[in-house]
Amino acid sequence: MTYPEILVELIEEFSEVEDKLERLEMVFDMADEVVPLPIDQWDDGSRVVGCQSEAHVRVDFEDGKIILRSGADAKLVQGLMGILTLALNGTAPAQALLLSPEFAEEMGILNSLSPSRSNGFRNMFDKVMRDIRSLH
Amino acid sequence: MALRDDFPILKREVNGHPLVYLDNAATTQKPQVVLDAMNDYYTLSNANVHRAVHTLAGEATEGYELCRTRLKSWFNAERAVITSGTTEAINLVAHGWGRANLKSGDVIVLTEMEHHSDIVPWQMLAEERGVELRYVPVLDDFTLDMDVYAASLEGAKLVCVVHTSNVLGVRNPLEEIIGIAHENEALVLIDAAQGVPHDRIDFKQFDADFMAFSAHKMCGPTGIGALLIKEEVFQTMQPFMGGGDMISTVTTEGSTYQTNEHKFEAGTPKIAEAIGWCAAFDWMSKLDLEKEHERLIGIARWVADELRSMDITVYGRHGPKDGAVVSFLHPTIHTEDLAHLLDARGFAVRTGHHCAQPLLNRFGISSAVRASFYLYNTMDEAQRFIVQLRDITERFG
Repeated sequence: MTYPEILVELIEEFSEVEDKLERLEMVFDMADEVVPLPIDQWDDGSRVVGCQSEAHVRVDFEDGKIILRSGADAKLVQGLMGILTLALNGTAPAQALLLSPEFAEEMGILNSLSPSRSNGFRNMFDKVMRDIRSLH
Repeated sequence: MALRDDFPILKREVNGHPLVYLDNAATTQKPQVVLDAMNDYYTLSNANVHRAVHTLAGEATEGYELCRTRLKSWFNAERAVITSGTTEAINLVAHGWGRANLKSGDVIVLTEMEHHSDIVPWQMLAEERGVELRYVPVLDDFTLDMDVYAASLEGAKLVCVVHTSNVLGVRNPLEEIIGIAHENEALVLIDAAQGVPHDRIDFKQFDADFMAFSAHKMCGPTGIGALLIKEEVFQTMQPFMGGGDMISTVTTEGSTYQTNEHKFEAGTPKIAEAIGWCAAFDWMSKLDLEKEHERLIGIARWVADELRSMDITVYGRHGPKDGAVVSFLHPTIHTEDLAHLLDARGFAVRTGHHCAQPLLNRFGISSAVRASFYLYNTMDEAQRFIVQLRDITERFG
């Protein structure tokens, strides 16, 4: 799988860190990359099901490019959303749809998260892709 | 602590750190004797129970039925139905007793403190039979509102109450609850999943009508539990599932059923698990459970006090008879984040609603972190837990 350059860099950066706590801290830091979806816009349509925490995503297009807005109550989920934001925002839908979720595994994120969280990430990823497809 | 040497899993590391297992209210670890007993059964005696005459079947039957004998002697009970766990045991009461004895308009009294396993089966039965459910509220001091309880018994046929809350650790005043229920001619079901691991209960003296619990919370295997039933109540129950060992005769016209506990144990039972549970009982019988509980509630109380000193909200009172369970909420770190961060340092804790959503709703929260202690946990582990929590709070709080 060929990833966007930003993801290639992140994969390298994450895989160099062995300590799980530090890796989690790096995921936490990725929360800064999130384009916020205001809480008053969280609804059933934006909810990511299968996530243990409250997580919401919304996909919009501006000038034909994707804008992913998201929000969650857990920092770790916010971090995962931040990574997805870096991977998708500003890309064309056709290009975005080529992305596979394995990058999270290659970054060692899925290994460092519980199965439910991994499923939550997968559910979030799948919802974003579904939304892109339906809006595209 | 020599006792820890009996648990091979406690020697492992998690994420490069020694495992500190504090998720015992979810399930406990198993001593080597339990693992050996189950392995020996599969290695040397594997066969189906009850019907065949060959040697292996005899050994398997003896091993399985010995579990029932152990249950009856450990708890001083007349009837012990072996189930897949607490949940199936409660469902057995709902289907086997409830369907045979409840009609529209009858009342079942529950509490806000119940595990979902002691709520959902009753909601399903209520919908099917038109039974009314009444919930006893939990007060701010984490105890049941006994005045409301006493007032809610009119028309009640059954009271379902948890022995010890899996979230709060609060041990309910069961003797009083049972006494009041019986004065009002209502039966009592005790969900003792969190109770029996710490409390050596005499079922006859206790005088409950049903008591449900699981093996895996008391060092036994997963997938097996029991329902203790008072003899006269046992006689009023109908089979819940059909097939296998529960029949006496089957013809194309109809079937007759066993009259003993087998009536409620359709299909091939949990043979290896029963043998493993026996080994767990044998292992636990060498311990002074009362003394151990005193030590564990002391640890839980110390942890709760430390957490409060860190401005962390603790849900529970940790009285002498309460469970060694500490549920808490950090003011700034999300429960799941905290559990992941602790896991990164080898500490296994639980997070989420703990299958007790009505109780968490009562306190206005949707999730809590829970640290729960059992026989092999030490004060040293508790101290390391607090040190780690302080470190995480400084770094991420």
